[in-house]
Amino acid sequence: MPIRLLAPEVASQIAAGEVVERPASVVKELVENALDASAKNIQVIVQDAGRRLIEVADDGSGIPAEELPLAVERHATSKLASAADLFRVATLGFRGEALASIGSVSRLTLTSRVKEAPTGARIRVEGGRPGAVEVVGAPVGTVVRVEDLFYNVPARLKFLKQDVTERRAIDNLLARYALAYPHVRFRLTDGKTVSLQTTGDGDRRAILAALYGVEVAKEMLEVLAEEDDLVLNGYISPAALTRSNRREMTLFINGRWVADTALTQAILQAYHTLLMVGRYPLTALFLQIEPEEVDVNVHPAKAEVRFRNQDRVFSFVQRSVRRALLAYSPVPTLPQPQNLWRSVHSVPSVENNPLPGGALPAAGLDWTIGHDSRVEPEAHIGPVLATTPETVASSPFPARASLVSLPLLRLIGQIGATYLIAEGPDGLYLIDQHAAHERILFEKLMAQHAQQRIPAQSLLTPVVVTLPPAGAAVIADQLPVLSRFGFEVEPFGPNSFQIRAMPVLFGNADPAAALRALVEDFEEDETPLQTEIEARVAARVCKRLAVKAGQVLTPEEQRALLTDLENCESPRTCPHGRPTMIHLSVELLERQFGRKGAR
Amino acid sequence: MKVTVLQENLARGLSIVSRAVSPRSTLPVLANVLIATDEGRLRLSATNLEMGITCWIGAKIEEEGSTTVPARTFADLVSTLPDAQVSLTLDPRTQTLNVRSGSSTNDIKGIDAQEFPPLPVPDFDQAIQINVADFKEMVHQVAFAASTDEARPVLMGVLVKVDGETITMAAADGFRLSVRTATLSSPAARPVSAIIPARALSELARIASDGDHPIQMVLPKGRGQVVFRVKDAELVSQLIDGTFPDYEQIIPRSYKSRTLVSTASLLKACKQAEIFAREGSNAVRMNIRGSGDLQPGEVEISAHSEETGSNETIVDATVDGVPLLIAFNVKFLREVLEVIKTPHVALETTAPNAPGVIKPVGEDNFLHVIMPMHLSQ
Ligand SMILES: Nc1ncnc2c1ncn2[C@@H]1O[C@H](COP(=O)(O)OP(=O)(O)OP(=O)(O)O)[C@@H](O)[C@H]1O
Ligand SMILES: [Mg+2]
Repeated sequence: MPIRLLAPEVASQIAAGEVVERPASVVKELVENALDASAKNIQVIVQDAGRRLIEVADDGSGIPAEELPLAVERHATSKLASAADLFRVATLGFRGEALASIGSVSRLTLTSRVKEAPTGARIRVEGGRPGAVEVVGAPVGTVVRVEDLFYNVPARLKFLKQDVTERRAIDNLLARYALAYPHVRFRLTDGKTVSLQTTGDGDRRAILAALYGVEVAKEMLEVLAEEDDLVLNGYISPAALTRSNRREMTLFINGRWVADTALTQAILQAYHTLLMVGRYPLTALFLQIEPEEVDVNVHPAKAEVRFRNQDRVFSFVQRSVRRALLAYSPVPTLPQPQNLWRSVHSVPSVENNPLPGGALPAAGLDWTIGHDSRVEPEAHIGPVLATTPETVASSPFPARASLVSLPLLRLIGQIGATYLIAEGPDGLYLIDQHAAHERILFEKLMAQHAQQRIPAQSLLTPVVVTLPPAGAAVIADQLPVLSRFGFEVEPFGPNSFQIRAMPVLFGNADPAAALRALVEDFEEDETPLQTEIEARVAARVCKRLAVKAGQVLTPEEQRALLTDLENCESPRTCPHGRPTMIHLSVELLERQFGRKGAR
Repeated sequence: MKVTVLQENLARGLSIVSRAVSPRSTLPVLANVLIATDEGRLRLSATNLEMGITCWIGAKIEEEGSTTVPARTFADLVSTLPDAQVSLTLDPRTQTLNVRSGSSTNDIKGIDAQEFPPLPVPDFDQAIQINVADFKEMVHQVAFAASTDEARPVLMGVLVKVDGETITMAAADGFRLSVRTATLSSPAARPVSAIIPARALSELARIASDGDHPIQMVLPKGRGQVVFRVKDAELVSQLIDGTFPDYEQIIPRSYKSRTLVSTASLLKACKQAEIFAREGSNAVRMNIRGSGDLQPGEVEISAHSEETGSNETIVDATVDGVPLLIAFNVKFLREVLEVIKTPHVALETTAPNAPGVIKPVGEDNFLHVIMPMHLSQ
């Protein structure tokens, strides 16, 4: 179909708004155009996080020379003819807005050649004003060059995040499109080094490996389900492999990356009871549905869709994911303890990470410990807050507060290879060994860090680790922080690092795993505050290296864990703010056994 | 099956094989020991699928047969029986083993021997023969340097290489490397190189008793297993798949200073330093000071902890080369000194950030490489 102007009545029906918010949105629009043009190879060059240059070159169908001026005009598209077409959009683009919008905030050069034409043609747009079409030599396909983005919109420039963040958004975006289109060859470079490259051989697991690392990719479970016109395929993480936010829940509907639909909820429901509160799976799911069944014209950036029959799609996705999940992981049969007892603190919920103790009602049982005068004060005073990584960072070593510290505990034993039971003067303590060990390591590491005495143990042979592009960018930026933590890490080719030494504290844990742990949970909007980064780095390393649930500990190890925990400044929560222990006070036990007040 | 054995033999046999029992396995039969008559003797076997141990004990066999019984129950029972004849009678229909001794009679419920995973029966014709005392010392000097971290299975193993008359064992955990060689009494038919779990080697060193026949080792083709035979026992272990680090590369070819010290004095200094070092980073500093014309050399070993305090010991030394201040993980130092038998050791160093090499003085069959630590000032 040739490019033509949409009739005004059609144009007015299109969800309008900002198309170009940040460099990553430019990349998204250009890549979608290339995909719409059936490209098999898409090469993206990004310089200075997209501020200086974004170039997307494809080997798709191209644009005839005479249509170039229209391509950069608003409401000009080859993908939609009538208003009715709006209800069965099969292409990624349909508004005819992207190139015009980009052209109005940058210096844009569009070079293209169709197969039939002997030469290519080029048009330049500067600040929204298109120039004349010139004849140039060019291969079949299209190259869009966007320079000096937002040069004429200083307000936008000001609101751009740090280069790292913008670059990570682009890395992420491209990795996701690569996953969705495994038969297309993607390549992302900054003109010199390649940060993402796929083969286009259709192997999604290989792309997952590039995105999340080989180990994670190996663990991912495959989903494949079909029902009437609905097809769902892709990968989901097993219940044990989770993140603290939903950023790694990728969902494509008819080849379109959509964020935040009810379907995310459907996926989470499929994991119901398998996930800890505040944990989210990694998913890369691709849903195919009849174009008539879905309305893509609801969000200006096309990030949301609406289904004609929402319930049907919801239930299909939920069932399919659940089935894939159960095929691999058995459902735990033990009831979760937080349903029975509240944890020692009613901890205020930390950002998108609601805590079991605080979030759940006391399950109808009068077993809360709120009435316990000994514990009550601790539950509401500062110390709890002081244990979230953020605040620990600003004052990493609060004076030892007797309120948070633990009484002397007598070890009783280990249960389920996961919890320790101990007796204190004021009742019974159930201790989560992983969370407790995390806390211990964290405090030791931060203490050594504060004294600038983190000894690094050199490795016999350097370990080379390759990280997903986004993670590699983070590490590259944080090398000095890492060295202060006893990691000697050097860049070693694209996305790869060589580890020469690691902190002694971690014994003989795998150095590569330790480094990977640093970036796996990385938040996109990492705060630039140095101290916070350091606390986060520490918290993450400790999490990876702490003893796991399910690990049988010898009595000596159990006792050592308990002693170390007693010596912690904030023994009652792990560095991520989850409780390390549940306390059943003497009073509570007496009440429950009917010993008190019964006489 | 109907057999009579001596309680003492049965107890010893069970203690040998029980180390391969896996009580928590999802396969119940792996928590059992196999008991089978075998050419006039009684064969006991246990396996956790990674490692299997078989042991033969003398028995009077009246009726052939086999079964498996829970290892724990059986061993606990046998250990309480008097030092006398024990008769074992199987009711094959119910797989119940009757254990009778003196006035005590016990019925243990078993699982059919058919369900027990078969252990290999290799051909020991071409076996490599290793002297038991050599083998034990090699394992003692090498296995402790293997890693316990399951994330890197290769490092949980010991590389065993046989080439002609030389056998070499090497283990590394990422921070240190132990290499020991020995000479075989007769050359091996063909070269061998395999990564054997450190645990299996230690287990074998425990089972083998000195003065016995040599240990025989075979690697049946294409099975990914190694089988060892000692006098009346066999141990089979899965080999670890993978590439062992090129350890020859790791061993420094030269040094800038060589420090000779008394093994016992250095070990004692390390043990004292460890008391203070273990609180923090396990780091000890070694300040190596050269010998002047009139002055002997010395090594000052010191550790420091924010909480506990500090320690400093000076050990006399003969220092050949430049003075140096270098830090090591004291646990690594202690562990290697504990396995060196010669009265003196040599520590070869080059720079604070270069590996240190420890060798027994007067023996050239062992060396140990330790990577240093860096302490930020
Ligand atoms: N890489 C390309 N290859 C071939 N044709 C292209 C390419 N990029 C743009 N075009 C043509 O230019 C037109 C305008 O592109 P533009 O991205 O502005 O709008 P659209 O894709 O139609 O809709 P949307 O605004 O939703 O992206 C497209 O309809 C298409 O015909
Ligand atoms: Mg478009």
